Amino acid sequence: MSTDATSRTSMLRTLLHRPYFWGLIAIALLLAVNSLKDPSYLAIGYNANTGSLVGNVIDILRAAAPIAMISVGMCLVIATAGIDLSVGSLMAVAGAVSMELLASAGGSAGAALAALGLALLLGAVLGAVNAVLISVVGLQPFISTLVMMLAGRGLAKVITGGQNTAASNETFRWIANGYVLGLPVVFLLAVLIVIAVGLLVRRSALGLMIEAIGMDPRAARLAGVNRRGLLFAVYIASGALAAVAGIFASASVMTVDVSNTGYQLEMDAILAVVIGGTSLAGGKFNITGAAIGALLIATLDKTVVFLGISSSATPAFKAIVIIALCLLQSQRVRDLFRARRAKTAPVTSDAPKEAVAA
Amino acid sequence: MNPTRRTILGASAAGLVAAALAACSSGAEGGGAGSGDPVTIGFVAVGPEGAWRQANEQNIQDTFTEDAGYTLKYAPATNLDQKSQIDAFTSFIDEGVDLILLSATEGSGWEESLGRAQEAEIPVILIDRGIEPDDTELYATRLAPDNVAVSTSVAEWAKSTFPDGAKYFVLEGPAGVSVVNERNEGWAQAMEGESAFTDLGSQTANWSTEEAKSVFETVLKSNGNDVQLVFAQNDEMGLGAAQAVQEAGLTPGEDVKIATIDGTQAALEALSEGTLSFVAEYNPLFGEQALEAVGTVLEGGEVEPYIQIESTTFDSPEAADEALPDRKY
Repeated sequence: MSTDATSRTSMLRTLLHRPYFWGLIAIALLLAVNSLKDPSYLAIGYNANTGSLVGNVIDILRAAAPIAMISVGMCLVIATAGIDLSVGSLMAVAGAVSMELLASAGGSAGAALAALGLALLLGAVLGAVNAVLISVVGLQPFISTLVMMLAGRGLAKVITGGQNTAASNETFRWIANGYVLGLPVVFLLAVLIVIAVGLLVRRSALGLMIEAIGMDPRAARLAGVNRRGLLFAVYIASGALAAVAGIFASASVMTVDVSNTGYQLEMDAILAVVIGGTSLAGGKFNITGAAIGALLIATLDKTVVFLGISSSATPAFKAIVIIALCLLQSQRVRDLFRARRAKTAPVTSDAPKEAVAA
Repeated sequence: MNPTRRTILGASAAGLVAAALAACSSGAEGGGAGSGDPVTIGFVAVGPEGAWRQANEQNIQDTFTEDAGYTLKYAPATNLDQKSQIDAFTSFIDEGVDLILLSATEGSGWEESLGRAQEAEIPVILIDRGIEPDDTELYATRLAPDNVAVSTSVAEWAKSTFPDGAKYFVLEGPAGVSVVNERNEGWAQAMEGESAFTDLGSQTANWSTEEAKSVFETVLKSNGNDVQLVFAQNDEMGLGAAQAVQEAGLTPGEDVKIATIDGTQAALEALSEGTLSFVAEYNPLFGEQALEAVGTVLEGGEVEPYIQIESTTFDSPEAADEALPDRKY
């Protein structure tokens, strides 16, 4: 009994030291606030017609899927001490090319597959262009991806001829609106992709090597790490994941809006990564954290609407939540709290341990 | 030594720019029709935003052709960014165009740029979007359909369709844009004192179908699907709301009636199928009126500070079917 209790406290303690702990707390708080407004907020119903679970939480999971995709890509890029500002624009490109293809190719499943493949390919190619600019030409990631951010949206407009293109294709639509075992397909796909990427980088040496070039490129090179190859891998991954996000976003309404699809989502992705406990300076990264950060941003977006916060106050509300979260995460602020507590109570040995990222 | 070198460099750079400009303008003149100098017009435009804007800007471009004696320089904003518009505006002044057409992405912050145009004696005509504060001294005239009147027509329709009242939600464009303020104003004025109607709130969906769907699916949940009327301030958001209604297992047009503004082809098709219930047109095709106003202004004549463009409304599938065959946008 007592050993059980201690193991539970130690589990709690490791959780507390996880960088994404405060993100989880923030999600719980937001859900609690929503439940205060409407006690049945967390209730999940079942719609027999579509075979799907229905509820606010399901909506949040669905809304989090595209953000989680770009956040995971962003997380890998940031770990190499880079940044990818082009993900939002690449979403628009992927949406544009798939909608254009579907609008002309029609509603068959084959057309949907072709659109998927083409969008992913284009995302990966544009990611590779970023990688060339950064690792071969030697431009700074900020500048290279900023160029791609502007060029990408331009490209999307060229693809659709400046219009917002709509198409109809049941298979493609199913990706964002369908259900399997009652859960949204888009959420299941996102979870699978997050797990796949997580396993790939953590079960192999890939993750360590990415961290190595982010921490100290020179030491990594001396240790024989192939920096160029790794940079190609992460920027291509980020581009392809952005394409997945673009497919999710445009399939949801079967329309691509070249000015609005993915607009400023790179900021959401960066926030999600930071909330997840990955430092913008590069080095140690945390994929689970990035996914939780994405979930938090989706929860925040939905909360704003659910509480009926007025449109003009929305950005301020989001900013306040995020600033509060960053303050809680900051080591200095936590030290301040700890020092204050130490004055009133004797300290239990609580040396900050580096939590190994999952 | 150094200063001289810098002047020489500067002078040659200026020379280069001048040469480039001369090349530009001579090219433009060469393209003009033989009858006198073509009038150069700078069009500071919004760019890709939706089908309405596309129709509007295409119509302007098709009207001010070289055959009509105009050289139109089209400068769309980058991602609806006001800064890129101000840059384009300033370079048109420096270039010395004869007149500037302006569709501002945001209402405020134009005083300085408009003041500079005035100093350079370049008249400015506002197309569609107004400026805030609305200082009519700063521009020659504004051509636009009346947003307040259009959204009032939506409210009047709502009152006649729901004589016993309804619970309604408003999907707005981005906060701070003059169109949004005016559409809110017309709706609020007409709805004032209607105790049968319950305002469930309003939220921005940034003119986007995707965001409108996401916003409205949450609104439906937070009100237990008890919403009878949606006022979407553009067609795209209305179509997004309709998808959210369908996903919630309700029927748009029966359980939830959706009214939109703009009158694009996609919206009229949806009206014809019954997914939308009311579409108020916001007429984008006023190139002819703009041409007339530009002519008068350039000859030094007086024009009204505001020229209203007439719009119609569509309240039934039949009306939509009738208008669809020759819808241009």
